[in-house]
Amino acid sequence: MRLYEFEGIELFRREGIPVPEYALATSPEEALEKAQGIGLPVVLKAQVLVGGRWLAGGVEVAKSLDDVLRASRRILGSSIRGMPVHKIMVASGVEVAQEFYLSISIDDYAGTPLAILSAEGGVSIDRIARERSEAVVSRFVSISQGLKLSEARQMCRKVGLSGRDLTEVAGVLTALYRVFRTYDALIAEINPLVRTPEGKYLALDAKVEIDDSSLYRHPDLNLKLEEHILNPLERKGREIGVSYLELDGDIAIIASGAGLGMTTMDIISQRMRPANFLETGGAITADLLYKVMDLVLQKKGVKAIFINIYGGINPIHEGARGIVRYMQEHNITIPVVAKALGNHQEETWEIFRQHGVHVVTDVSTEKGVEELARLLRGEK
Amino acid sequence: MSILLNRETRVLVQGITGRTGRVQTKWMLDYGTNIVAGVTPGKGGEIVEGVPVYDTVTETVARHGAEASVFFIPAPAVKEAARQTIDAGIRLIVVVTEHIPVHDVMEIKEYARDREVMIIGPTTPGIITVGEAKMGIMPGNVFTPGRIGIISRSGTLSYEVSINLATAGFGQSTVVGIGADPVVFTNMPELLRLFEKDPGTDLIVIVGEVGGIQEEKAAEFIDRWVTKPVVAYIAGLNAPAEKRLGHAGAIIQGDGKGTPQSKIAALMEVGVDVARSPAQVVDLVRRRLKPG
Repeated sequence: MRLYEFEGIELFRREGIPVPEYALATSPEEALEKAQGIGLPVVLKAQVLVGGRWLAGGVEVAKSLDDVLRASRRILGSSIRGMPVHKIMVASGVEVAQEFYLSISIDDYAGTPLAILSAEGGVSIDRIARERSEAVVSRFVSISQGLKLSEARQMCRKVGLSGRDLTEVAGVLTALYRVFRTYDALIAEINPLVRTPEGKYLALDAKVEIDDSSLYRHPDLNLKLEEHILNPLERKGREIGVSYLELDGDIAIIASGAGLGMTTMDIISQRMRPANFLETGGAITADLLYKVMDLVLQKKGVKAIFINIYGGINPIHEGARGIVRYMQEHNITIPVVAKALGNHQEETWEIFRQHGVHVVTDVSTEKGVEELARLLRGEK
Repeated sequence: MSILLNRETRVLVQGITGRTGRVQTKWMLDYGTNIVAGVTPGKGGEIVEGVPVYDTVTETVARHGAEASVFFIPAPAVKEAARQTIDAGIRLIVVVTEHIPVHDVMEIKEYARDREVMIIGPTTPGIITVGEAKMGIMPGNVFTPGRIGIISRSGTLSYEVSINLATAGFGQSTVVGIGADPVVFTNMPELLRLFEKDPGTDLIVIVGEVGGIQEEKAAEFIDRWVTKPVVAYIAGLNAPAEKRLGHAGAIIQGDGKGTPQSKIAALMEVGVDVARSPAQVVDLVRRRLKPG
């Protein structure tokens, strides 16, 4: 789950990474009051879950109180890459002598944490790495050993830091690693960390994403689903325990695995438009598929449902009962086509057939989608 | 012949007394798997489907010579269980469990690497050596014995590809799901190496999907080390960027890596035939192999 900047900054603070004085505001008046408390100049920053806020106009420096009012009014009423802004951060403006880039992420293929440091910051690390690769150093970290201060200092030396820059930045890098480990992060990034002309080191931004599978052991983070998953149907999906992604077409998809769901989406996309991607994972019950039917049909304009499920870990015959119960209770008349194979396939077909679900017994998803297309054209 | 697992392999089931563990133990036994023991701490002395249950892995190794283990253990308990299993001397572990914290996966991976233990998963349907034995949750009836080895990131797609091949008369030797998470314990090239060596496998099918670099790494490996024909299918051509599609691993990052296009290009460049759908895998296999 991606955290807002203010949530990430708070984790930084807890692990001893210095950050500028800041406060949050949800109205221009509140922003004004906070700015007066902090002292001018301030930086006003939209709190949204997307990157590229500078370019999208979500960040503005205010040097006067009039500026604070005007800028916070503008930012609070705007959308950044489709995300409406409800909250802004009012942060103390700092002068910058040098910028650094620091991150701890995961190298998926190696299966190990990856520390990255650059003596240049502010822009995307991909761009720095492309244009000035000598300014970037990366290092795998042994997860059982952690990132040692000596290793962090070596990284600093490799990008040309010395003196206080070396010791201070290395200290922040090891603190960032602690954030990454303590909170089960997928990424913890500071871009930029700055040195001010007075020689202070401050993290001016925070990008932190927490592993969804670890949220159960971080109740202290107190993350609210409605603030992090903004699409109501996608949120509903998470609440019932399935993966749902809203798309802009009109054919609903229900699949019992992500790979199968993607294939189904690919094949449907060749001639029709999927309304969603939905995969149940391995915990199908009658009740779950009843709720899944309700979920995919909450999207307006769905004109057919394509079900693609395998009985491996999933008792698909039980799932089928949930689907047909939903159809009976809600008088569903749009075409519902089901391809169901594996354990309990015959029983599943029987349940579907008795309740008007069009059963595909062919083993290829293409054939199933062809049948769906025929039904939608009104052919038998 | 086969890789990793055969009808003689002495299999242990961990989490055997849970709902999924019980059901799947029955399916695995029905398929012919040589399950010698189960483990659930605190349930030692019970019998599940005729299989004796112990409190610790060490006992099953000592009394039954257990050599491979399949996990039906809740995600929060996997890390500790994996350490104990490795320490007890088990050399092959299949982790079916979904939603294991990725930091735990990294810890287990490092621990296993230092001790030369092969772990398949997590979020995997497991391993099936067709007609002999299975460690995992795949439905036996979608597979047919034969000479094609399959490596898949997705469980359900390994079923879809296998049943399409089987219907056309092409059977499988061993089918392995490497797991759908972004970090998996065993990467694709390691399994390619085993299939390349296996005299029972004539052709290898790779079933990939968007996200990560498994397929790109597989292509590099194939170029250098694989002489057998390889056919691939990559799911997610229509995946929207920067959205996760169920599998935690299936995400196209903003930097353009991990797209289906980059995977298809990398594989085709090293002579792999790439299908546009699971059903088309059959057509490409037919060009290289006679049914059987």
